[in-house]
Amino acid sequence: MTRDEQQTLHVQGNELCPVLIGTSGYSYTEWVDSGFYPQGTRTPDMLPLYACSFPIVELNYTWYQMVRAEAISRMIARAPESFRFAAKLTRTLTHERERDWRQELKLYREGIKPLQKQLAAILIQLPPGFNWSRNNRYYLAHLLDSLHGFPLAVEFRHVSWARDSVFAELVQRKVTLVTVDAPPVPGLFPCLDIVTNPELFFVRFHGRNMQGWQSGNMQKKFDYCYSEEELKEWNQRYLQSLRSRSRRGIVFFNNHVRAQAPGNAKTLQKLLQQ
Amino acid sequence: MQDRAIIHLNVTDFAVAVERIQDSSLKRVPLIVAPARAARALVYDMSEEAYRDGVRKGMRLNLARKYCRQAQVVHPQPALYRRAMTALVKRVVHYTPLVEQGEEDGHLFLDVTGTHRLFGPAPDIAWRLRKQLLNDLGLDPVWSLASNKLVSKVASRIVRPFGEYIVGSGEEHSFLAPLPLAMLPGLKPEEMKILADFNLQRIGQLAKLSRQQLHVPFQKRSTYLYDASRGRDRTAVLPGRTGNARIVREHVFEEDTGTYSEIQSVLTMLVHETGRDLRNKKMLGRRIGVSLTYSDGKNIIRQATRKNGCDNDFLLRTLAFTALGRAWQRRVRIRRCILICDRLVPRPQQQTLFVMQTRREQQQEKIICAMDTVCNRFGNGTIYLG
Repeated sequence: MTRDEQQTLHVQGNELCPVLIGTSGYSYTEWVDSGFYPQGTRTPDMLPLYACSFPIVELNYTWYQMVRAEAISRMIARAPESFRFAAKLTRTLTHERERDWRQELKLYREGIKPLQKQLAAILIQLPPGFNWSRNNRYYLAHLLDSLHGFPLAVEFRHVSWARDSVFAELVQRKVTLVTVDAPPVPGLFPCLDIVTNPELFFVRFHGRNMQGWQSGNMQKKFDYCYSEEELKEWNQRYLQSLRSRSRRGIVFFNNHVRAQAPGNAKTLQKLLQQ
Repeated sequence: MQDRAIIHLNVTDFAVAVERIQDSSLKRVPLIVAPARAARALVYDMSEEAYRDGVRKGMRLNLARKYCRQAQVVHPQPALYRRAMTALVKRVVHYTPLVEQGEEDGHLFLDVTGTHRLFGPAPDIAWRLRKQLLNDLGLDPVWSLASNKLVSKVASRIVRPFGEYIVGSGEEHSFLAPLPLAMLPGLKPEEMKILADFNLQRIGQLAKLSRQQLHVPFQKRSTYLYDASRGRDRTAVLPGRTGNARIVREHVFEEDTGTYSEIQSVLTMLVHETGRDLRNKKMLGRRIGVSLTYSDGKNIIRQATRKNGCDNDFLLRTLAFTALGRAWQRRVRIRRCILICDRLVPRPQQQTLFVMQTRREQQQEKIICAMDTVCNRFGNGTIYLG
């Protein structure tokens, strides 16, 4: 994307748009041990408590299993009306496409329906092996077409997608490119402050645990605590730029281990209020 | 109290899945596992395609063949299924020592409560396990996650033959409510009939009844029905079946049998093998279980216990016959007989100062010792008790 095209995405000049900050998932038993939830908190009570601290959450479990309308309805009932959700696309549509993806997509669209009023975005997280090949491009195009009408955000993991033609296509489709902070692993999609959908920017903080990233163990992969300086620097370098070119934004911390994610999210909230 | 995290893994049509791994050409055809050589063979297991054509477990093979003409029939190999089950468990115990397994049926319960610091959130463990079992063994289990065994089992039933289901803690009641009563595990046919007479069709309808109301038609079972219909199940995941904590011997009859003496003689043979195993391991068994699989696929297990334990074939046989008497409840032929010796304890090494055995017991011990010597020299199966 050329600089001129980027300029056209400026929507509010130097004004900074509002940002909703939350975490990737909220139902972690270890957050009780780590003190984010009060001692003795049981799983059904976590969402109402979480909603007291943050206005938005990214639903992780929708990646593990196909969303079901009845389960989503039960969950919504436990959160305030103003609370927002971002839902990951199920793994059978991104990472493990062994089943009939059209059927899976139909089930997903049905399952996510009750969330529609409070849905901030559907996150299409693509696996590291999903490179810029002909077949993969066709598949992604079909996926985006089939999910037309939903607020969509795409997170690439493979560096081959970092090219202007991809960004231009996302701009045309009004699909958000997810900005990711992750360890500098070779072949990983880089951290870019490109706005492809001025309606929404989407940021995910995965932590910078280089050793843990390739361990295959979630507890090691997302075991990282951002310092205040790191978050300040990130804010100045990326976040302000993203905010100046969008109408609203959402930021999630995925470093859930030992409740580092809610801790960092609160720190960033304070930084943005200053 | 911390919410429990119970994963249920279920390899659908386990026998078929294992047969298809052994012979990949079977993947392309509907499959029926049944003893084809037997005169009145019954279906032991069948593939999803055969199931869709109307084939059911316990159905007569000639009828099953009419329902699914293109099906290929293979002879059951219980020993192979047992080996596959062992391989399955071996991979699973890496994540938790609390693993409960069924009888070579591809069912496993895992209690992963409190393992999150090591392995991450429970859904991630379940997903990784499924991936690992698929990659290592070629088995693709259904997985479900819930706060107890009952709900996780129902969740698996909903999604099978492929898929996954997570029931959040606190959602058990609302999850079960819309489901048909037949989905609730442990309901007996006579109870289903009573419930149908009351025009109750959904689990939620059953859950609306009070303990007192349920007590009138169901007596002692009312407590179970009351709790189960609300998704309450406090039973623990019982480990210990995975290691050397029990000895299992099995016999599949060439043709289904209804002769009591034939089953007794098979049990005697199994008892001797078990007793010999116990003596080699210097262990005593405190419980003997007899599992009978009837021709229609129904399975009944009954036990007999001895507080102090024993490794004496004569005593073990008495226990086995007691258990057999309890298990033999139906006038239906028997297809398979399994002897399970568990609650093993080490044999005391300290000898008593005075001889405490009766003369008869001393004689029995000498006979067993002589039989073991013969078996050690000429191999297993050369000599048995009469």
